[in-house]
Amino acid sequence: MKDSVHQPTTPFRLGTIIFLVVLACAVLVWRAIDLHVFNKAFLQNQGDARALRVEPIAAHRGMITDRHGEPVAISTPVDSVWIHPQTYSRDKHDLSRLAKLLKLDVRKLNKKIRLRQGKEFVYIKRRINPELAQQVMKLEIPGVSLQREYRRYYPMGEVGAHVLGFNNVDDIGQEGLELAYNNGLQGTSGLQRVIKDRLGRVINHVELIKEVSPGKPLTLSLDRRLQYLAYRELKQAVFMQRAKSGSAIILDSTTGEILAMVNQPSYNPNNRLNLKGSRYRNRAATDTFEPGSSIKPFTVAAALESGKFSTASQIDTAPGVFRVGHNTIRDFRNYGQINLARIIQKSSNVGATKIALAIPGKNLWRVHSGVGFGMTTGSGYPGEVEGVLTHSSEWRRIDQATLAFGYGMSVTPLQLARAYAVLANDGVLLPVTFLKRTAAVSGERVLKSKTVKQVRTMLEAVVSAEGTGFKARIAGYRVAGKTGTSKKTNSDGGYADDRYISVFAGMAPASNPRLVMVVMINEPRAKVYYGGEVAAPVFGKVMAGALRLMGIAPDKVDEHSVRMAALGEHL
Amino acid sequence: MNAPFMTYHSTRIDKKGQQRWPLDYPLLMTTLVLLGLGLVMVGSSSVSIAEQQYAAPFHYLWRQVIYMLVGFVAALIVLKIPMRIWEELGPGLILLSMLLLVLVFIPGLGRTVNGSTRWLNLVGFNLQPSELVKLFTLVYLAGYLVRHHEMVKTTIGGFFRPLLLMSVLVALLLLEPDYGAAAILLMTAMGLMWLAGVRFLQFFLLLGVAASVLALLAYISPYRMERLTTFINPWADPFDSGFQLTQALIAFGRGEWFGTGLGESVQKLFYLPEAHTDFVFAVLAEELGLFGVLMVISMFTFLIFRILYIARQAELRDRPFGAYLAYGIGLWIGLQVVINLGVNMGILPTKGLTLPFMSYGGSSLVVMMIAIAMLLRIDYETHQDDRVGQKRGRQAR
Repeated sequence: MKDSVHQPTTPFRLGTIIFLVVLACAVLVWRAIDLHVFNKAFLQNQGDARALRVEPIAAHRGMITDRHGEPVAISTPVDSVWIHPQTYSRDKHDLSRLAKLLKLDVRKLNKKIRLRQGKEFVYIKRRINPELAQQVMKLEIPGVSLQREYRRYYPMGEVGAHVLGFNNVDDIGQEGLELAYNNGLQGTSGLQRVIKDRLGRVINHVELIKEVSPGKPLTLSLDRRLQYLAYRELKQAVFMQRAKSGSAIILDSTTGEILAMVNQPSYNPNNRLNLKGSRYRNRAATDTFEPGSSIKPFTVAAALESGKFSTASQIDTAPGVFRVGHNTIRDFRNYGQINLARIIQKSSNVGATKIALAIPGKNLWRVHSGVGFGMTTGSGYPGEVEGVLTHSSEWRRIDQATLAFGYGMSVTPLQLARAYAVLANDGVLLPVTFLKRTAAVSGERVLKSKTVKQVRTMLEAVVSAEGTGFKARIAGYRVAGKTGTSKKTNSDGGYADDRYISVFAGMAPASNPRLVMVVMINEPRAKVYYGGEVAAPVFGKVMAGALRLMGIAPDKVDEHSVRMAALGEHL
Repeated sequence: MNAPFMTYHSTRIDKKGQQRWPLDYPLLMTTLVLLGLGLVMVGSSSVSIAEQQYAAPFHYLWRQVIYMLVGFVAALIVLKIPMRIWEELGPGLILLSMLLLVLVFIPGLGRTVNGSTRWLNLVGFNLQPSELVKLFTLVYLAGYLVRHHEMVKTTIGGFFRPLLLMSVLVALLLLEPDYGAAAILLMTAMGLMWLAGVRFLQFFLLLGVAASVLALLAYISPYRMERLTTFINPWADPFDSGFQLTQALIAFGRGEWFGTGLGESVQKLFYLPEAHTDFVFAVLAEELGLFGVLMVISMFTFLIFRILYIARQAELRDRPFGAYLAYGIGLWIGLQVVINLGVNMGILPTKGLTLPFMSYGGSSLVVMMIAIAMLLRIDYETHQDDRVGQKRGRQAR
């Protein structure tokens, strides 16, 4: 094959190759030194810019407990599933497995990831329970990771939903007490410097920049047992009466602490999907209504304080109709010549009007505003409203007349409860609170002790066989209270004949009141609508249970208990 | 000329007068050290990505170990094959190369990754024919140069005939596309021609043509040229076209003098794409620092010089086929190392080329080990005459 003798490569040709090898080697070495030594600072900066991150450390949100330390809002650890779109495989099978496990729509999920293709971090589903999260990780889909967060859990569910409120997905209070006390509950999240891999996972903790300080726990004045009791009875009443809504409040009249506050309709704070905004309203503090006859005890108190009237005063309510200007004020029937106690007991509009018109408007205003109408209760509840109570200087005669029986003003159920607490608390107005009181609170005397005792006696008569609030009676306890039934306004400004608000406000034990309760039922649509028929039974049931749960001694020995006691002796 | 390489011969003969394994140990040991270091770096750089992709941190490491065992078996077999057989097989191998490169495009057989159809789907493993093609082409070319060395030196046809054949291979490689392999193939062939004594005029004419073709290409499609030149300033677009390179350069900066320590690389944690294959050197630079980088560069430099030495020895003992093949392999490994290291350090445009003996990848590893086995065989045959002479000498005494 060989066409001649082979000649070895000339030294020159081999030399060029060797020269090139040496040259390449020199260039590589120079470049390595250049990068490793001279460009070190720049390159490391660039590296840090990509890998070093300042990360927040989630602060544990403070627990909320009721007055006995029972948890009502707890932060539990949860995991959020997120994806790193750049490393995620986009495998159809993986995607459908993930979607199935998390109960997500595959197409929507796919679109979501596709739209964020260039991003580093996309939440797939936030706040799932840790067991499910572990199942997700078992799928071993590249690019899918978890992030630890805290989720708020409300053991009371719908029972405490309105009072407690809720947080947004970032654990910041949005409504209710979660919002009101957000600063304390939230704590401050810490900061740390970490090295992250390109998927955003933390590899190394470099330094702690700021210590995390967990949120402080909060002890409420609420009593979970009373809350449940009130909620159960209110819900049943609203359902039976086919009412639009309802509220109930229990106050400790000696301290101003709110022991229970419930509303209908409610919602499950642990699953707030597809809810209308109206469900979120804590109507007991944010919605006002015209209190109607439930205001009469304060009209009578104003009459007594003015000195013009006494318990002995007789007022002529015949013929049960009374004209003020162009307006006619009516009673249920003609009660004739009656005293103040009878006005309360029978809820005479004519009688209340006559005494209100007989005293200076200023006196009436002083009592009404003194017991807290037209101003906030000091509860600090977010979105609480003041209601409307115009000053007496602006009153026309008809205004003064209607204010006597609770029209022309508006109050919240919470304000009404606070006002009744004045009657229960010897005439001293206390600020109300959602927090458990640790020290005695000083109030402001707004009514004379003597007046209050007299009015309370009259209110006891309401809860008697002849009174309008008989259905609020409780075996073993003396109950003082007042019914109220007010017509709702129409859109044209007049009053509707078929839409009512039924109220019962009262206290027990009447001899030495401890608990004050207001029950308000909005637009009952069953046959009856009187406060004594609709709201009073709820009051009776709840208050009976509350008194026993609170261990408050009975103050009435009625035939029933005597008989029981006698039976006991015979045994 | 060959003064720096004149050692070791005396060490070949032990006290019994005959070495059991008469191999070129400097070459063998350097290769083994590089293989060992490569294995460590593949393991280190692939831990995270293997964990993420397969939930098995040593997935790539074990595969590389298996490839290496296959490589050792292949090398042992090649060690037994006389060079004469390779010389005769040359034309057949070049046809086989073409066949392999065509097979890649047959659906079901070929496998496409990242838009490149470079792999043949064999049972359980993927073969990258371009690695084999590089070796086979060198075998063929060495044979050709031996057969027609006078023609190569004197006629234009003798110079262009093998180039024509190779342009078919290059065209097939460009179709895959595998620009890196095509470039290596052409440059190695040119280097070999140069050593074979191609006339200056023809050689530089061809170089001139190649340069003008490149210039024309840049003129026609500046977009392609721009992509080719982003390596000059990767920081202009560090999150897109310059992404991989900037991440590699950061690895060098982080490495400093002695590195962050084995296993401590941050860049391998999904920042640097292809950390265990084409960019394994960057991870080495981060974990072992300038010290490690200089070690690797020196070892490769030594390896190349040793190969040139083996080639020169064969040449001087009138074994032209072995000499050309050894020169070819030396040029090939040298070029691939320089290009890979250059790419890693941002002085050459980013191309998909593995670092011989160190990058992850079965085809490259096995073929490189076969090439080293061939070199050992060439050296063995070169010194066969000496041994025979010594034996005779002993008998005479």
